[in-house]
Amino acid sequence: MVTRSNSTNGQRRDFLKTAGAAMLASAVPWNQARARTSEFAGQSLQVWSCGGLAEAFMQANQLYEERTGTTISYTGAFAAALGKSLLANGRTEVFAGRVLELAQKLRSAGKMVFFNPLCFTQYVMITPKGNPAGINTIQDLARPGVKVVLAPDASPPGGAAVLKLLEKTGVKDAALANTVVQGSCVQEIMTSVIDGTGDVAVVEKRLTRIPNFQGQTEVVPLPDNQQPPPPLPFTIGMMEDAQNPDLARDYIAFILSEQGQACFEQQGFIPALSAKGQELVEKLGVKDA
Amino acid sequence: MPEKKKSRLILFRRTVQGGMLLLLGQWSFYGVFRCPFAVPFLNCQSCPVITCSGRITSLFWGFWLSLPIIGLLFGRAFCGWGCPGGLLSQLSAKVAPFKLAGKNAFNRFAPYGKYLALLTALVLWLVLNNPRWAIPIRIGEFMNSIHLTFEHANTAWLIRSLTVLAFLAAGLIFSNLWCRIACPTGGLLELFRRPVLFSFYTTEQCNNCNACQGACDMGTRPAESNCTNCGDCQSACPRDAIQFGRPNSK
Repeated sequence: MVTRSNSTNGQRRDFLKTAGAAMLASAVPWNQARARTSEFAGQSLQVWSCGGLAEAFMQANQLYEERTGTTISYTGAFAAALGKSLLANGRTEVFAGRVLELAQKLRSAGKMVFFNPLCFTQYVMITPKGNPAGINTIQDLARPGVKVVLAPDASPPGGAAVLKLLEKTGVKDAALANTVVQGSCVQEIMTSVIDGTGDVAVVEKRLTRIPNFQGQTEVVPLPDNQQPPPPLPFTIGMMEDAQNPDLARDYIAFILSEQGQACFEQQGFIPALSAKGQELVEKLGVKDA
Repeated sequence: MPEKKKSRLILFRRTVQGGMLLLLGQWSFYGVFRCPFAVPFLNCQSCPVITCSGRITSLFWGFWLSLPIIGLLFGRAFCGWGCPGGLLSQLSAKVAPFKLAGKNAFNRFAPYGKYLALLTALVLWLVLNNPRWAIPIRIGEFMNSIHLTFEHANTAWLIRSLTVLAFLAAGLIFSNLWCRIACPTGGLLELFRRPVLFSFYTTEQCNNCNACQGACDMGTRPAESNCTNCGDCQSACPRDAIQFGRPNSK
């Protein structure tokens, strides 16, 4: 569930009174939308998102379908590919992509009507169960004998983001020297660590929540100042092709509601609605100017 | 072979093929149209595509581990009885005007293409670590996902997939072309043809009339190259010289 401490709730209320009004300016608040759900029964909505969000969206879509009687036609794949399609002749009604610039590009091309911050990714270290190499900090990747797993050729930002993180923390050269697996897919990293081929890898936290991998590794958090530079944010926006803008707005409002955002937190993301999410919204300027 | 026995065998085989289509059909479909890897069906344990049944680990490993056992017991029977692609080829063969059953250079050398395909697949898998050649569409609508996969795949993936589709389509003209000359799995199973324990074979009654070859969609004879142990030839033999069992016991 989304964090609900008193301080967080206070911050959230403050935010919703001020910046929240702007954040959801184009979307119908979910509490109002709930009273009108029946009007969307039997209708369908096409939603595309970055593939990394697929598990969270599948869960959220099911909740929305149950509540409204709407059918969500959902596609989840590499955001840059979907974005490229949308900038050409691809059509969808709602798009949730990684990389703020992509949303801005779609806006300036007149393909997207508005967007909101959705959530943020975060990176963690993973080790085989029991953490046999005793990995506690990012500096441990530079220790002689530690077997590091990387996927430099993985689809962006997978490989590149981790290399930037290693560079930022000053362990890149030593970690590269310790690398035993250089894969082309972030999911391969998980299997290489689970089966003990490697002692440690840096991955997006979402990967540790995928059903195939959940509970099969130890997860060692990385502090905020060691997170890689963007692209960390995901946005969600209504496209010009939305057949029923009211339905699209209602759906987006649900995804940005506490119930919708909880699905994203459960899958390892930082929800935009949370205190930490709001901090990142401001810090990274995830706003539809 | 009595007509009743023949129709029972065909019905049994079609039933088995139908069951295998239910079990492996979706996986096969994804392998051709949506698997992002160079060689499909080998990286299911770490594939990002959510909706593909190959992600079920037991099916993935169970399939590959069972193939050599099936091969040793029954040779290429998987091709004739279990492979969804094989079923598609067999159905296409019913309308194919060219059976490619004669003795000529093409029919003699083209089947070696299977081994070339197998070698290529092994190099891509074991040497090049089965690279990812397409953007995985993790989940999506049927046609939309195929469209997106083709739209964002690289040239190598397009060549790989269009080659498979071209061979399957050519099966409407040339009987079982894919299975006979291009399928790497067929090439793998063909290696078990000589040590196979059980297969259809010709007895001493055989007078080489080649009626069996005429009835065979693969254009072959029992226990010879490309025989998939389907049993279609048995009822075609006028001398009842085709039996099933241990070939070396004839």
